[in-house]
Amino acid sequence: MNNQERIKQAFSDSLAIPLEKVSDDLAYNSIPEWDSTAHMILIAELENLFNVMLDTDDIIDMSSVAKAKEILAKYEIEFDA
Amino acid sequence: MEQNQILTGYQVSLREVQEKDLPLLRQWRNDTEIRQFMVSQTEITEEQQSAWFRKVSRDPSQQHFMISYKDQDIGSVNIQSRELGKPLSQAKIIEPGLYIGEAKYRNNIIAFSPTLLINDYCFESLKCQKLVAKVKSNNQAALNYNLKLGYQIVKPGDLIEISLNFDDYQRDSKALKALLSRTPRKHRE
Repeated sequence: MNNQERIKQAFSDSLAIPLEKVSDDLAYNSIPEWDSTAHMILIAELENLFNVMLDTDDIIDMSSVAKAKEILAKYEIEFDA
Repeated sequence: MEQNQILTGYQVSLREVQEKDLPLLRQWRNDTEIRQFMVSQTEITEEQQSAWFRKVSRDPSQQHFMISYKDQDIGSVNIQSRELGKPLSQAKIIEPGLYIGEAKYRNNIIAFSPTLLINDYCFESLKCQKLVAKVKSNNQAALNYNLKLGYQIVKPGDLIEISLNFDDYQRDSKALKALLSRTPRKHRE
């Protein structure tokens, strides 16, 4: 599984939504499933999956799937298609 | 009441509203997106706001703060004593109110930070026993937001009454507080 697939799976598992619903423009609070509780679960999942420790600014900025990839790229996680 | 009080935590700061803040506050308050969830939905004029500011500046039963994140004002939070004639410092029941004026932060987890900060202040510094709030029934987002922080529905209706005690707040806000209190990366390196 590549990083694109791994992050998609992480969003799907954390937000408890089907994989097909995970797209780059999916945003925090845009669906009922992505609320503050799910956001906390998502952060923990991404940290475990990619072995990083996000800081609070990153957690606040992580407002969409695209933004999550952008933030993880700062931690040298690559998302080449 | 201490003048020009500043509270900081969870990446945001709260400073007491000053006269220079009034134009921005009025712009936010009159924004249809914000106004639709207010109990009074009429637009306020500069004169009405000036009169309001003169009144609240001298009133020890309420405090109004600007919320700042990364040196930008993003919204406003206020607290009011729910006991007639009692200043905030003696009130057992306090009603907080909040809105995020900057659109880009409305649907963002940062919206929890000023609430956590003001709730800590009410329970730990002012030593109140209970927070109460009223949420319009069409404002499901605000209701969900408050329930996440431990609020319980006291009275359903068009205007839903909710309340929060310290124990429920401590229990339900713990994880969120930890998430919003991490040390910035630049301080860890």
